[in-house]
Amino acid sequence: MTLAKHYTLWCIESMDQLTDVLTAISHPTRRAIIGQLANGPARFLDIAEPFDIALNAVTKHLKMLDRAGLIERRKQGREVLISFRGEPLREVAGWVHEYEQFWNERLDQFEQHFRDKKKREKK
Amino acid sequence: MKNSKKTLEVKVDRTIPAPPSEVFDGWLNPQIPGNPWNMAEKLLLNPEVDGFFYWAVKGTPHYGRFTEMKRPARMQHTWVSPNTFGEESTVTVTFKKQGEDTLMTLVHSGIPDTDAGRGHEKGWKYFLDIFLEQFGNGSRKKK
Repeated sequence: MTLAKHYTLWCIESMDQLTDVLTAISHPTRRAIIGQLANGPARFLDIAEPFDIALNAVTKHLKMLDRAGLIERRKQGREVLISFRGEPLREVAGWVHEYEQFWNERLDQFEQHFRDKKKREKK
Repeated sequence: MKNSKKTLEVKVDRTIPAPPSEVFDGWLNPQIPGNPWNMAEKLLLNPEVDGFFYWAVKGTPHYGRFTEMKRPARMQHTWVSPNTFGEESTVTVTFKKQGEDTLMTLVHSGIPDTDAGRGHEKGWKYFLDIFLEQFGNGSRKKK
């Protein structure tokens, strides 16, 4: 990742998306739903079944996960299957490790410089 | 000034095929690719204890003060940039002889762990502990 990209991550749009993702995973029920969907797509009633809460509440949780881009829905025949999307979480992971990426890039180049130098010296 | 704010720490290391003194000097030489000074568009660098540096890339300034300079084993300096929200973080680089090579370890500590800088604390904690492993690691593996 370039440094320029690094700075663009501070833009409002990213922050909004970040907030959506973090808000989505801040609730234990939504985390449990993600854990459930990580095993594979499921129908709404299957998702709701383990929880002792109203279906309306499950719908609201799913809306928040949807808004964060953590789930997607697709029709299969008469049924709608809900599945987990990991990309937003990985983007968040990249964001928290910006400095780690920055220093890794630096040290990669630094190491390569010495490897190239050693090769030249051997010739 | 010390404060009680939560901070993050980043640690990376590499085995560099050269002796510690050469690697130490290389890390301070702006001509050598990979060190932070090399990428500067504007650079002021005084690598001695209490010496300051200023470097800017794409108009973004970074400042710091060297606090330790123990050639060829260790150096430390502070690091202030917009990404530390003006807070003084610390970069410590150690160079340990490993046969003909050098184990170089860089620790960037004191990176502010604020809401703006990191996100909701509980979300991050949960995420970092569980999701990253469960759903695939998007960040680099350290050596």
